[in-house]
Amino acid sequence: MRPLTEEESKTVFTKLANYIGKNLVHLIDRPDEPYCFRLHKDRVFYVSESSMRLAISVAKPNLVSLGTCFGKFTKSGKFKLHVTALDYLAQYAKYKVWIKPNGEMPFLYGNHVLKAHLGRITEDTPEHQGVVVFSMNDIPLGFGVTARSTVDTRKLDPTAIIVFHQSDVGEYLRDEETLF
Amino acid sequence: MDVSEILAEHARKEQAVIVEKEVPLEVDAGFLTVTDPNPIDEESYKANLEEYLQSTARDGVQVLISALFSLPTTSSPDGPLAQLPPPTTQIPRAKPLPKPKPLTKWEQFANAKGISHSKKDKKVWDEEKQDWVNRWGWKGANKAAEEQWLSEVPMNADIDFDPAKKARDERKARVAKNEKQQEKNLLRAQGAGPSSAPPERKREIDRTLATTRVSTASMGRFDKKLEGEKKLKGVKRKFESTEVSSEKEKSQNLSILSKLDREPTTKKAKGGEAVLNVRKAVRAASKGKGSAALARDSNAKKGKKGKR
Repeated sequence: MRPLTEEESKTVFTKLANYIGKNLVHLIDRPDEPYCFRLHKDRVFYVSESSMRLAISVAKPNLVSLGTCFGKFTKSGKFKLHVTALDYLAQYAKYKVWIKPNGEMPFLYGNHVLKAHLGRITEDTPEHQGVVVFSMNDIPLGFGVTARSTVDTRKLDPTAIIVFHQSDVGEYLRDEETLF
Repeated sequence: MDVSEILAEHARKEQAVIVEKEVPLEVDAGFLTVTDPNPIDEESYKANLEEYLQSTARDGVQVLISALFSLPTTSSPDGPLAQLPPPTTQIPRAKPLPKPKPLTKWEQFANAKGISHSKKDKKVWDEEKQDWVNRWGWKGANKAAEEQWLSEVPMNADIDFDPAKKARDERKARVAKNEKQQEKNLLRAQGAGPSSAPPERKREIDRTLATTRVSTASMGRFDKKLEGEKKLKGVKRKFESTEVSSEKEKSQNLSILSKLDREPTTKKAKGGEAVLNVRKAVRAASKGKGSAALARDSNAKKGKKGKR
């Protein structure tokens, strides 16, 4: 376990800023308790300082996880967000997409969001913008990237893809052994 | 006449003036100091500390003052003045001992080899002149070869061979060499010796050698090992310690964030920074039809104008 280097922090922050924009400050500068980012076995964990200090005393091979896993660094140095970061993304998300109840299951099985399943979408969402996907009763289901801007979606046919799937809560079951 | 009373009085006075101790007190009149080397009398020390200390001090002062009165005096308008003898007590020196002079290279070598070196006299005896002359310097003996009116010329010498010039050049070279050595000794004494850091050229060579060693197809893995070749050491990565203070970490992260805000990395973010939202502007101008439609409309208008 170690703090991120400046390069790594930059990579993580640019990725997170894609979904939550300027709200990223609230993750770093929290009023309740100091939180920090820690790297352990290529995974980035967002953890309160107190529990990080407790984890210091655990040997490296024995430490499985701490705090919230935000994602992992690939071998080529890119940062991949995991569905475990969804809680924080949903809380601070800038652009949101709500899907109808009949579209929930297809999305949770790892499919893209189609126009037919689109319930609501934030106004002025640009193209290729990171968005968080909610069910109609405001339960976060996952996140992805918009295929079209809000305006362009109006003219599309119902089978067109609106949001490219990136991650969904179904992964908790599907990728159980590799996720954490 | 009864003198016993006077005698008793005198004896008391005498007793008050003369101090008798087992070990005599040490008086240093030069420093006006008295040292009492006698062991402490434990009984009286414990019974009444103040009184014991006072009596010891009184004895010491008494001895000092009687020693002062026995000194030779000079008279002055303010009364007689005693002349203090030089102090006898040894006082530790205030400054540390001076450091030994750093040895020159020759001295180091001579010490290592056990060569004892006797200093040469500045004057040498000149048999011809029957006089003492300087070894060097003004009319020095080292210039004798240059001042000969006749000198032998070697068989294979050049035509313009000048024995005086040759001797002079050799002497000048010796002086120059000595000056260089002196300079080096001075440098070494200052601690900035030539051996303290490898010169730039050597470091460059080392770097090149290290690069070439890993520049083969197997990255140096299956190369023939030379004798005495050292193992290559890579650059070790350095990370900050895990338990940095949260305040420091927070400020670092915030500074990284502000840097990201200043120079957006993606093209999209660059567009978002601009004052004008191009996407919105195009939508408003084309009434929601898009940029392609807008371009078509403007082209069509131009075409009509041209026909008129």
